[in-house]
Amino acid sequence: MNGEAIFEARDIVKTFPGVKALGGVGLSLMPGSIHALLGENGAGKSTLIKVVTGVHRPTSGELRLDGRSVDFGNPRDAIAAGIGVVHQERNLIPRFSVAENIHFESFGANRFKPIDYRRLNESAAEWLRMLDLDIDPAMSVTELSTARMQLVEIAKALSQKSRVLLLDEPTASLTSGETDTLFEILRRLRDNGTSLVFVSHKLEEVEALCDRVTVLRDGQNACESQSAEGLTRKDYVRLMIGRAESGSGWRKRDTRAAPQVLGLDDVASGLGHSGVGLSVRAGEIVGLYGLVGAGRTELARVILGQEPVTQGTVRIDGEAVRVADVSEAIHRYRLGYVSEDRKGEGLILQHSVLANAGVPIWRKLAGRFGFLSDATVRAAVLPYLTRLEVKTPSLDQTTANLSGGNQQKISVAKWLAAGVRLLIVDEPTVGIDIKTKAYLHDLLRELADGGTAILLISSDMPEIVALADRIVVMDAFRTKGSIENDGDYTTMSEKIMTRIQDRTPSGTSSGIGETARCA
Amino acid sequence: MTDSASSAMDTRPASRLSSRSSLRLFLLSNEFGLLVLIIVFAALFHGLANGFLSPFNLFALGRNAAVNILIGLSMMTVLATGGLNLAIGAMGVAAAMACGWLIEGAGLAWPLAVLGGLALGAGLGVTNGWMVVKTGLHSFIITLATMSIFFGAMIFLSQGESYRALPAVFSDLGRARVFTFVSPMFLIAVGTALVLSVLYRYTVQGREMLAAGARPEAAEMSGVRVERTVIACHMLSGLLAALAALLLTARNGAAIPSMAGQLGQDWLLPAFLGPVLGGTLLQGGKVSVLGTCLGAFLVTMLTSGLLLMQVGAFWVQSFLGILLLLAVMIDKGRRSYLRRRNLA
Repeated sequence: MNGEAIFEARDIVKTFPGVKALGGVGLSLMPGSIHALLGENGAGKSTLIKVVTGVHRPTSGELRLDGRSVDFGNPRDAIAAGIGVVHQERNLIPRFSVAENIHFESFGANRFKPIDYRRLNESAAEWLRMLDLDIDPAMSVTELSTARMQLVEIAKALSQKSRVLLLDEPTASLTSGETDTLFEILRRLRDNGTSLVFVSHKLEEVEALCDRVTVLRDGQNACESQSAEGLTRKDYVRLMIGRAESGSGWRKRDTRAAPQVLGLDDVASGLGHSGVGLSVRAGEIVGLYGLVGAGRTELARVILGQEPVTQGTVRIDGEAVRVADVSEAIHRYRLGYVSEDRKGEGLILQHSVLANAGVPIWRKLAGRFGFLSDATVRAAVLPYLTRLEVKTPSLDQTTANLSGGNQQKISVAKWLAAGVRLLIVDEPTVGIDIKTKAYLHDLLRELADGGTAILLISSDMPEIVALADRIVVMDAFRTKGSIENDGDYTTMSEKIMTRIQDRTPSGTSSGIGETARCA
Repeated sequence: MTDSASSAMDTRPASRLSSRSSLRLFLLSNEFGLLVLIIVFAALFHGLANGFLSPFNLFALGRNAAVNILIGLSMMTVLATGGLNLAIGAMGVAAAMACGWLIEGAGLAWPLAVLGGLALGAGLGVTNGWMVVKTGLHSFIITLATMSIFFGAMIFLSQGESYRALPAVFSDLGRARVFTFVSPMFLIAVGTALVLSVLYRYTVQGREMLAAGARPEAAEMSGVRVERTVIACHMLSGLLAALAALLLTARNGAAIPSMAGQLGQDWLLPAFLGPVLGGTLLQGGKVSVLGTCLGAFLVTMLTSGLLLMQVGAFWVQSFLGILLLLAVMIDKGRRSYLRRRNLA
């Protein structure tokens, strides 16, 4: 490596209870360069950013600034050391003025000294001018567009004398014009010697902007701080997705004779889907692949009746239906959904294992006047919890205390107990250790063999190739046809990538569903 | 609660959660703490104030406790959703006044009038719940507004007049004693609490209320109709508030517009004290019916004991306020202890 790295992370390990988020990751940043940090969801990008910016302390490993070892106890330490970050979610204080937001951190110097607003505004104006921003510093940030808020955050980070500036998906909510402006500014910052880290799922942007690249996969470096010269979109995708895991366990299953359970025909939705076609037969595993923001989770919500279908037909068992709400989807049509947001909507963490596993079948089990005893629920769910080898001291244990893998097993078990005909599984193995992952894969296959139709949403291409009978590719809220899976990773990933790259120039609409995601 | 199921779970030795550890859990519970406090204070008052354990005082205590228990339960049902209900006093008084009017104004038989009062309470609850669900505003705002609306409408319609010519059943209920020292009102409150225990523990409706309160998103994705469930919680709250006010009417022998103070605010402190002392989570998703009852009983007992000791009434209020703060802090410490030990 030539030149002196301004900042280095060496061999960073970060473990959370039950999960190893980073297993010895490295990153070295050069002055005057734009460094891409890539990886699929759950690869560890966010954790690494949080370690670098002092939010998390690494379990082991070393951070070095200007060749000296540093230890950040909290984000303030990192800011003081010249490491600024613009997070994916907005961190401006609403209703405060632009100038107040830019200089907020320096208010603390003298608690009782009146704030000199003229000086504050003048100094803020200087930073805004640097970014070619024509904004009145006395204006409230609430009146700004999202793009301008983003730029104000960058101005704020710069005003803190950041020599290293991390940008986590800065273009997620920008139009292409705004993105171009942002890139110009970033290039100018680079030329002035700032070291920038650019996190994005949009690989075209990475190709256009970045000169160095680090790719993370499963908490490891797929490549570390190498020159981006000569790398193409295809290389990035290969690095991000990796080779198929050993022993993928794929086997040919023929379900062509089975009846269709779910059929979508030219469906459009209130969330922005259009022309979505999809079919899942009994016993079939259909993989729904797409990059983040392609509209897959949103499609699950449409199927479950949480969001309206505005056009086209949804068929369940061959019959055109209009699902009114999630409750109807579950109780009447017997659909199930394993959420990607396990802690937020998959489980009620505050409640016991028994309560969580039983929710979808309470109504079915209840006797007259809705009476229901724990013993009844236990008898109904215990076989499935046992079969999935859920590790818990008792069924009365609060689910919040269990490991991620066990929590995920419970959120699958509850649908097994409910005897669903179609199970939509959304990113089932994100943040889950490899052993449980393999176990869940076996389970999904077994379930399909038993006749359950499975729609598997995953950003993990090896996972899709290992499990699916057929793969439907989705991009920008549209389906782009389905591919028969032959279980061979190389040819399949090739085919999938061709479908995704075959983009109609409609890049802007893909940002719609992206807000709630982070890596 | 040890169960055979834990031994069927194949993993960590099930004996870990032995009877010893569940005994320790019980000893750390709010309910047990309250029981100890009740016994300690009962002994204290018995020693310090003359006639604290006399049949008449116990009878009066039970009568007051009955109302406080129902007020506490009324708040608890909404706390279960993670919300709160500031309007319970206004709703209760409105229901009792409606009952009085149905008897004196409309000439209905008392059982029908009582049903009418309860129905009005439930209906006002549905109004609250419906507005909370449809506007998406916090129940604090909605019930703050409806508290004034309900109370104002009640004063307007009744012109601030009490209904004093109620049938004898009301005052009979207020005066009757079972076994010389138990008020039947207390038995009604205990019976209601039993019904609620069964609701939360043994019915789908009650379980769904808790699920929707703990994590509405997750409950919805598991097939619970969250909006409908939240409305049901508010309805139950209105029903219980109406029942509390009807018992109060029986005790007073009259339905009086000011029986819960201006805007019904006199009920707020006991309404929160019972559930919070009893271990109901303000974030929703967990209730303790027994705890609420014990908490309400403790509050009633402290009030009565302090008054017997001739401590000024305003000191009693301050004391109850301090008790609320203490209870919340102790509960916080208790829960972080349990979390550190991974017990709950």
